[in-house]
Amino acid sequence: MSDHSFSIRINEKEFTVQPGQTILQVAQSHDLYIPSICYHPNLGTIQTCDTCFVQSGGELVRACATKAAPGMTVDTLSKPVKDAQYEAMSRILENHELYCTVCDNNNGNCTVHNTAEYLEIEHQKYEFREKPYPPDNSHPFYRYEPDQCILCGRCVEACQDLQVNETLTIDWDRERPRVIWDNDVPIDESSCVSCGHCVNVCPCNALMEKSMLGEAGFLTKLPPPILEPMVDLIKEVEPGYKEIFAISEVEAAMRKARIERTKTVCTYCGVGCSFEVWTKDRQILKIEPTHEAPVNGISTCVKGKWGWDFVNSDQRLTKPLIRKNGAFEEATWDEALDLIASKLTEIKEEHGPESIGVIASSKCSNEENFLAQKFARAVIGTNNIDNCSRYCQSPATAGLLRTVGLGGDSGTMQDIETSDLVFVIGANPAESHPVLATRVKRAHKLFGQKLIVADIREHELAQRADFLMHPKPSTDLIWISAVTKYIIDQDWHDKEFLAKRVSNVDGYIKTLDKFTLEYAEEMTGLSKEDLIKAATMIHEANSVCILWAMGITQHSGATDASTAISNLLLITGNYGRPGTGAYPLRGHNNVQGACDFGTMPSWFPGYEPVGNSEIREKYEKAWGVEIPKDPGMDNHHMVEAIHKGTLKSLYLFGEEMGLVDANSNHVQSCFEKLDFFVVQDIFFSKTAQFADVVLPAAPSLEKDGTFVNTERRIQRFYKVFDPLGDSKPDWQIFQEVANRMGAGWNYSHPSEIMDEAASLAVIFEGVSYDRLEGFNSQVWPVHKDGTDSPLLYQEKFAFPDGKARLFAVDWTPPYEAGEEYDIHLNNGRLLEHFHEGNMTYRSEGLTHKVPGIWLEVSHELAEERNLTDGTLVKLTSPYGEVKVRTLVTDRVKGKEVYLPMNSFADDEAVNYLTSSYHDLVTHTPAYKEINVKMEILEATGEPPLPKHNHRFGNRMPQISVRVEDKWQRPDFQAIEDLFGNGGDTYGESNQAN
Amino acid sequence: MAKAIRQINKQVPNPIEEQAQAVGEILTALADNKKGILSALAIIKNLEEIGILDALHAILENRTDVGVIAMQQINQPGMHNTIKNAIYLFNFMGTLKPDQLQSMLGGVTQGLNRMGESIKNQEQHGLWKLGKSMRDPEIKTAMTSMVEFLHGMGESFTQHPSQELH
Repeated sequence: MSDHSFSIRINEKEFTVQPGQTILQVAQSHDLYIPSICYHPNLGTIQTCDTCFVQSGGELVRACATKAAPGMTVDTLSKPVKDAQYEAMSRILENHELYCTVCDNNNGNCTVHNTAEYLEIEHQKYEFREKPYPPDNSHPFYRYEPDQCILCGRCVEACQDLQVNETLTIDWDRERPRVIWDNDVPIDESSCVSCGHCVNVCPCNALMEKSMLGEAGFLTKLPPPILEPMVDLIKEVEPGYKEIFAISEVEAAMRKARIERTKTVCTYCGVGCSFEVWTKDRQILKIEPTHEAPVNGISTCVKGKWGWDFVNSDQRLTKPLIRKNGAFEEATWDEALDLIASKLTEIKEEHGPESIGVIASSKCSNEENFLAQKFARAVIGTNNIDNCSRYCQSPATAGLLRTVGLGGDSGTMQDIETSDLVFVIGANPAESHPVLATRVKRAHKLFGQKLIVADIREHELAQRADFLMHPKPSTDLIWISAVTKYIIDQDWHDKEFLAKRVSNVDGYIKTLDKFTLEYAEEMTGLSKEDLIKAATMIHEANSVCILWAMGITQHSGATDASTAISNLLLITGNYGRPGTGAYPLRGHNNVQGACDFGTMPSWFPGYEPVGNSEIREKYEKAWGVEIPKDPGMDNHHMVEAIHKGTLKSLYLFGEEMGLVDANSNHVQSCFEKLDFFVVQDIFFSKTAQFADVVLPAAPSLEKDGTFVNTERRIQRFYKVFDPLGDSKPDWQIFQEVANRMGAGWNYSHPSEIMDEAASLAVIFEGVSYDRLEGFNSQVWPVHKDGTDSPLLYQEKFAFPDGKARLFAVDWTPPYEAGEEYDIHLNNGRLLEHFHEGNMTYRSEGLTHKVPGIWLEVSHELAEERNLTDGTLVKLTSPYGEVKVRTLVTDRVKGKEVYLPMNSFADDEAVNYLTSSYHDLVTHTPAYKEINVKMEILEATGEPPLPKHNHRFGNRMPQISVRVEDKWQRPDFQAIEDLFGNGGDTYGESNQAN
Repeated sequence: MAKAIRQINKQVPNPIEEQAQAVGEILTALADNKKGILSALAIIKNLEEIGILDALHAILENRTDVGVIAMQQINQPGMHNTIKNAIYLFNFMGTLKPDQLQSMLGGVTQGLNRMGESIKNQEQHGLWKLGKSMRDPEIKTAMTSMVEFLHGMGESFTQHPSQELH
């Protein structure tokens, strides 16, 4: 880039310019301040506020919209510039009442306040005029106050073009324009997905988190009969705004004494959003994202922005519980820990260490997972440790380990954003990975990125796709292989890439013979034309990313289907370049990290095999113990071993295995057979009901640590609160149990655990808390000097010979429940809730939006069976039954139905229906291979989804805020016309905006 | 065999023990801050004696009502003027240069001294002498300063005609 850089002169000084930068971007990159209220680095140019006028070549131009050109001279301080900026700010203040000291947004970062102060606004040039609209307080989480809205359109830009939910617009045709939701409905009844983007970018207090109102300021809680005259008084006596700003700044500074701002990483999905949490004592005031956040910038989703009430829930476990005489008794930590240590020691001595298993948590930190596997391997002496990646992405990891050598996404969000073609197979990112989906939607809407979706359910990305493929369930390997074969047959494969960088090319190609278009058409239901179209689109794209999730991995042939995806990418040369690669989207905040840090039966941290004696010796030496050489049991093995009676005891933390593992009845009956069962959680889960000892753990806001997101990015989170009640961080609990069993550990802070992991696992050797300070992050592998690896395989693949391996795979037919089970049951996530919902249902607002789950049925099925919104049906599989109300939708077709997993009710949770059949390689349950039969229990009833849910909304797509419509208004006079000719009209105009 | 159970027997906190623990914590805090607490108690005693505590209590009990009345009283044109004038005066003080003010105030002091003596001695100059004193360099200096002062004031009035009307 620097080869092409040039320079321009601003205020008689030289400034270096990167090609494509605007004048404003050049100034900002050199810390030169130019007012800019509507510009935001994550949103780009909007051109509504006009405060960024500067002079270039004698003309007044908007700095945000004018590209820097070689030789350009710019003046940001001349009188016409000052006059233009002053006029722009004055127009803004006609729409915004300055009562900063009693405003909850007066926290030092209010863009309107800071800009008015910089421009030395002394008096209201145009009198503030109220707008004829009441505030909209209908939404549970945020409000819109039209009287304070300056119509900058940041919120609209964020909603239309960054989140791409397309709910907000500004109606420029009204006498007094305002922001509207859908076709002007109350916010709560609109298509708003509550992502929070609009609130995050609002430069003033027009859009505010309700949790801030009356809470952030010292005076903002005053009742209206006192507050309103106080505002009037201040306006009446103000000598000028300078004094008012001085007072409000003092007040803002005072707020810093009581509002803590702490960086954290989201604890929901695997995207890895980071942001600040603003708190007052134990009260969460708001989530404040920043453009410094490496993954999300200012983006959030409904759960990350608002879903934190669970931390202070009165349902939290706060004391250890011990099962005594058919009930749980509260106990002290000493009692509980002594009991655990003595019982585990006793079982180990009597039945051997292999009779004990540990189930780790993908919600917990890397350090906690590291300690959990150390506890299993070094203290108990077993490799029987696994985590819930076994329920989701283990097949993808295995498929990638077979073909390219590392079990993670091959690039970052930046690659997904910049790819020519994004191919999404069996994944619903708009609901399961919302912020990642925004990047795809944005690139697709604005930058011509092509999007193919292959799914049996028409979710949001499917609706937006250029091409939607709807194969028969569980046939993905076939059509992916057929597309691969067609590409080779057309001679479209990347021969140079294959020759130089891939092994087993000819051997693999031969195995594709059976995957003809005809065979694929017959087996998958996709037409030949569709298959050719997909192949052609891949061929025509310079770069392809394939994203997949549970639609691929929760099948009997899941590892093989994942392998087929990787094979397709290799054949087409789509690895190792920007904008290419394989992206198995990780479900939990730290499912990647739990695997990376060794809570797997056959891997030490950093995917170093347990079976390798050199590696084992490295750990044995470091820990001063002997470690069993054979891989241990995975989750599935453990359940079967408990049923067989060989596994006697289980220590499980942060995992609702009783509901989340498939075939819940089978899993729960195994818990009943355990001799001793420890469950460590923040809530009294279904799984905890089977425990002998329940330990109260602390969630991420109550401890320090790191998580790894789906990109392999390691990020730090900081302690916000002390642990609630007597609860403790998981790492402290492990240390106390281990020490009672003679371990002699002495960790005083998670950073020491990370140091130990970095000293042992090669891919983390350059990782340290210092390098991860604040919003810094590292994408593994991290070299000793701290350089990380955002894009993998640029020079070589992660095998000794540096070459990728094409790996032949064949199709595995899915499990069939039998003919009487005539309906295919698909299952997965909803946007508003997370997993079984033990965190999200604690939020009143989230529960207002989605009070519970429903069964999505197609119009065809509804007609055939007389189903309507609210019909109560019983679904029965060979493994159990659930009762749920139906919702008729075109998201599903024919006899395919969709049951969200977000319920912990015994008669609703989907896994009472699923089987124990599993992926042949990794034992991931085949959750997606289940058929059910349906019986109507009540023909009509309350519809399960309230009308105030975004799914009933009415989107209003447009590009940006349509500022041209503002400029066309008869009462608009261009500022450059007023001051452009030397500013000689200043002082005489009184132009209303 | 561990069946799923939901019954949790919480330890009912013993109110007497909890109270004793709380009292203990309070006593410790009191003992640690003996001097400050005793001084505060003495102040409270005095406030109680002159009835201020009662008044404060009543105000706090009815804070919204009192607040509304107070705002009504403050939000009056007379009070607006008082507050504005106070702010202007404050700003005015800020604009004065201390050395100028010092020399001017020195002059005023000296003038007052001579004026005092003159009144004490019941001096009365004749018109001739008054006219002659205009040639006195001290009087000339003072007169020049006063005229310049008037110039400056006039300049401000003509440059910012709206300011005095604000």
